[in-house]
Amino acid sequence: MHWQKYILAFVITGAIFGTAFYIAQRIDTQRIADIRATEESISIDILSSETQFELLGHLDCKIIAENPVLSDELNALASRLSVAEENLGATNKEVINLKEQYSLLEIKDYLLLQQISEKCHSKPVFVLYFYSNRGDCKDCGRMGQELSYLRETYPGLRVYSFDYNLDLSAVKTLIALQKLQGPLPAFIVNNRAPVYGFKTLDEVEKLIPELKTLATSTAATSTKASN
Amino acid sequence: MDIGSFGIYIFLFVGLYFEVFLLISFLEKRPQQKTATLPNYYPSTTIIIPCWNKAKTLAGTVESLLAMDYPKDKLSIVIVDDGSTDNTYEAAQIFAHNPQIKIYQKKNEGSKYAALNYAINRSESDLVGCLDADSFVAKDALLEVAKEFERDPEAMAVAPAMKVNHPRNLLELMQSVEYTFGIFYKKMFDNLSAISVLPGPFSIYRRSVFEKIGLFRKAHHTEDMEMAFRMHANGLKITNVHTALVYTNVPPTVGALVRQRTRWSRGFLENSRDYSYMYFNRKYGHFGVLVLPFGLVAFLGGLYTASYTVWRITEFVSTHVLDMLATHVPPHVSTNSLQWFYINTSMLSFLVIATLGMTLMAVVLGQRIAQTRLPLKAFISYFALFGFIAPLWLARALWDTVWAQERGWLV
Repeated sequence: MHWQKYILAFVITGAIFGTAFYIAQRIDTQRIADIRATEESISIDILSSETQFELLGHLDCKIIAENPVLSDELNALASRLSVAEENLGATNKEVINLKEQYSLLEIKDYLLLQQISEKCHSKPVFVLYFYSNRGDCKDCGRMGQELSYLRETYPGLRVYSFDYNLDLSAVKTLIALQKLQGPLPAFIVNNRAPVYGFKTLDEVEKLIPELKTLATSTAATSTKASN
Repeated sequence: MDIGSFGIYIFLFVGLYFEVFLLISFLEKRPQQKTATLPNYYPSTTIIIPCWNKAKTLAGTVESLLAMDYPKDKLSIVIVDDGSTDNTYEAAQIFAHNPQIKIYQKKNEGSKYAALNYAINRSESDLVGCLDADSFVAKDALLEVAKEFERDPEAMAVAPAMKVNHPRNLLELMQSVEYTFGIFYKKMFDNLSAISVLPGPFSIYRRSVFEKIGLFRKAHHTEDMEMAFRMHANGLKITNVHTALVYTNVPPTVGALVRQRTRWSRGFLENSRDYSYMYFNRKYGHFGVLVLPFGLVAFLGGLYTASYTVWRITEFVSTHVLDMLATHVPPHVSTNSLQWFYINTSMLSFLVIATLGMTLMAVVLGQRIAQTRLPLKAFISYFALFGFIAPLWLARALWDTVWAQERGWLV
């Protein structure tokens, strides 16, 4: 019996496991960096728009119509965050940090949208969606799927999804301002009264009649609203 | 990490460990190429062909033996018609006038071992071998075996390298890959003195084996496996001659394959139980410490992985169907799934890739050892089918063992 061979095989197998772990970790780190880069890019876009408004003192609706200031990347970011959360866990500090940053960007984007619609008399269609992934909302995932599907189908629809339990004062303020009191999932369409509980796709479509005014997409880009 | 995937990691570790171990063995002692040298002595040899309903293939098997480069006065062929219900006996009669060939007919006793023992008791040669009546030998197969017995006086039995005879359909091609990495495995087991089975097609024994440890036993219809176990238990050396090639017909249908492999797998479980004292016993070398335990882990790991995969797929599909029914969201394909960000890059996926890579390496080395080349479609068939079919015989073998189901050798 050559025990050295048993030990050598163990060391090599351990090294293969270690390499697999290292590669997986590196890719996850790359994913986080990718999300962070996207968030920074969106942040710069928003800051640029805000600065532009402050410099000019008013909005040039014509320019906005030609070059939308609101970033489409915000939608894509949601699903990427969802993947990162799945891989690294919802309690991962990095993930929570990215989610907080994402929520802030969503709120800023939402405020910008309000400003634009008010000054340019545009009629945006948006949904504020509140979910929980603590295991206390079994329908939140399904509701998220519906909103993702709608966002893919109607690229003009802006869905802002918020983790109800996120420990972020801006999100808490938004929840307070919207006077959310009922069970989750909950969503608010175009600043109307909150809708509580699970609704099927048909019911959601009825609650957003403005969808008819939006163009549909044939090549839908999927984004997840929650999870 | 959930408990289910933790189990997968454990089995992957053991599987990879085993493959790494064999690769180290390969690098330590690489198989030698065939040489043109001839043996100094040609031992007298009897090849037994036990037949049950093999009328169609028997003639080809016998002709391949007769065509071997081996002195005719040193080679005897014994055909045993083991109670066939077709015209096997009539098919054998075309060789009745050949002085090298003896033909016997006996009542079937439910398992192959009886036919083998019947013929061994009626032979007197130095070497005794067996060839299934659906297998065909290369011209120099016995010559290579004789050279091995001459080279290694301690070798008491020799196992050949087995290839699939003319694989045609996808299932046969799948098995051709299996048999090819089997060639690599068998050679590496030889390096470790741990060959675990002496297959029916053309395993050759010194007569003294039977004198020392007795004849074949029923052994749960896997007499070839039990004989190898018993030889290890008695310290008798088994070697592999990768240059002695045998071509065997393999089951062409899923049902036949599952029945055959159920018998093999169950035989392994039952013989493992009978020889459980050899497990982790250093006295039996790598056979007891590595090969036997790994065989059992591979059996359990295959079942566990298949069950876990079925569970996860069922969970995934049922969740999506229920979600679709509840939400009314129509089925749609997201373009996101094509982006690198959404590709599964978990540690598990890299380990699965590593394991498949090692398996592929074993097949490639098996090809080199046996000087053969498999077509691409064989590899595709193997990687596409094996994972789905193998769990069927593993589950059935476990079921049969637990409930002591008797299925017999003939099924």
